[in-house]
Amino acid sequence: MDSLQPLRRLIARPEAGPFALLILLIIVFTSINPKFISFLNISNTLAFTVELGLIALAMTLLMTSGEFDLSVGSVFGFSAVVMWTLFNSGLAPLPLAFVAALSLAALIGLSSGLLVTQLKIPSFLVTLGMLLLVRGTALFITDGFPQRTWDAAGHPLAVILVGDFWIGPLRVYMSLFWFVLAAIVLGYVLTRTKAGNWIQASGGNPNAARARGVKVDRTKIALFMLSSVFAAFAGIISSIRTSAANPNSGTGYELEVIAMVVIGGTALMGGRGTIIGTVIGVLILRMMRNGIIMVGVPGLAYNIFIGAIILGMMALHSWLDRRHQEAA
Amino acid sequence: MADNLIRMENIRKSYGKVQALRGVDFRVNRGEIVGLLGDNGAGKSTLIKVLSGAVAATSGEIFVNGEQAVIRNTTDAINYSIETIYQDSALVTQLSIARNLFLGREPLKGSRFFNRLDREKMDAVARELLQKVGIMKNIPTNTPIGSLSGGERQAVAIARAMYFDSDLIILDEPTNNLGVAETQGVLQFVRNARDSGHSCIFIAHNIHHVFQVVDRIVVLRRGEVAADDIDPKTTSIEAVERIITGMD
Repeated sequence: MDSLQPLRRLIARPEAGPFALLILLIIVFTSINPKFISFLNISNTLAFTVELGLIALAMTLLMTSGEFDLSVGSVFGFSAVVMWTLFNSGLAPLPLAFVAALSLAALIGLSSGLLVTQLKIPSFLVTLGMLLLVRGTALFITDGFPQRTWDAAGHPLAVILVGDFWIGPLRVYMSLFWFVLAAIVLGYVLTRTKAGNWIQASGGNPNAARARGVKVDRTKIALFMLSSVFAAFAGIISSIRTSAANPNSGTGYELEVIAMVVIGGTALMGGRGTIIGTVIGVLILRMMRNGIIMVGVPGLAYNIFIGAIILGMMALHSWLDRRHQEAA
Repeated sequence: MADNLIRMENIRKSYGKVQALRGVDFRVNRGEIVGLLGDNGAGKSTLIKVLSGAVAATSGEIFVNGEQAVIRNTTDAINYSIETIYQDSALVTQLSIARNLFLGREPLKGSRFFNRLDREKMDAVARELLQKVGIMKNIPTNTPIGSLSGGERQAVAIARAMYFDSDLIILDEPTNNLGVAETQGVLQFVRNARDSGHSCIFIAHNIHHVFQVVDRIVVLRRGEVAADDIDPKTTSIEAVERIITGMD
């Protein structure tokens, strides 16, 4: 009985279900098409994975604190547009345009955070409004046309953000490094620091947390800013990698990101969050997208699988929760 | 007079035309458990909310250790060393016992800009506290509150108040919805808290529970003090019931 205890605790962890699914996907896809784990495919999958993944990491903390942000997809497109418009029009050198775009994103996050915490408007409504506001601004200032980005080639900033290098036969983009670094730092913050304790308490029971002196509002505002800045950072990386700053890019990303986070085991209503789970959730969704095409399922069927995975994972998490409570 | 830890004088509170408190005087002495009794609507919850900062009194004065105190919110109350334990609402169910105990006052280690929770200390203190408050079972301190029974949750909340040296611990219906054994456990936690020097206000519907644990009983009726110096050792439960219902 006692020797089973560590194993049991491992299975009871919220990341266990998603992890099993991830392994299953790799096995199934590889057995149908061995090219699935070729270096070229891994490298291609990872390159795009981390851009959505960066947003998902920040969103994990925000959702743990009991809020979410629907405007991240818009900020993703908007920030790249802002940076390239500033640069192309000669108003600012590239690094300054980069900082300006991130600062503007922080301001967007600050506005959402203030509206949610001070006026007590649900984050669904605030960030829905912000989604339209930001997307509309991006379309308006560009007249709907993509901004050119090819001047960036070879610029040190571009190398730092999306430069690539080879590890043996595997081509790795710098953005992967940023993703791994962000996952480690945010995972550490969430589980090991006072800030992490406050984030979980703010989502779990805000009144109890407030009574203990936890600055719930300030915590949530900081996290709105964090997710906005991460969305901007990801959008800029994407614009350099694809050589296009399209005012429409990032449309629909907010829902895919939230799906990644909840599949990984973070609670939609807050109080419980896991960075490891989110990394697994990110990999599951990207592998699905890539894998079903490689095994010959029509790409249009992608959403059917994603929908089924979300429902299946939610059922699993709720079943585990209930079993946990009955045991107590 | 010097023994008064808390003195509330002429407290009035009205909600529109409804007068919930009509000039209540209330005191708690050092190291004393006061039972606060009264029918529904007698004003006990309102009085406690005024003292814990959840609502503001319309008029009246509060003295802590003989000095006038201004309590505008729950944080003020905690700064005056007044801790209120409501059924269920004081803890974050998703967080562990240790994290709940230190919520808002986390011990840190490491350099100033790269600090982290001192989990060894949190764990050690939590274990010691659970023993001190009287939990006999060996519960791991990383257990989430959501997995604990109602009585164990009360114990954690009481342990927290004890650790942070709250002079006054207010328990609002701590024995509600608890079984017989669990209720006895909570009553023992309250006695342990008093014996280590904390004063308590104990509010419960069940007069029998109040009689088992308190040193003095105060009865409110329709927003006024009906009796404030009942000794449970020399008074019968029936007599107190008559005072509560106003049939004396």
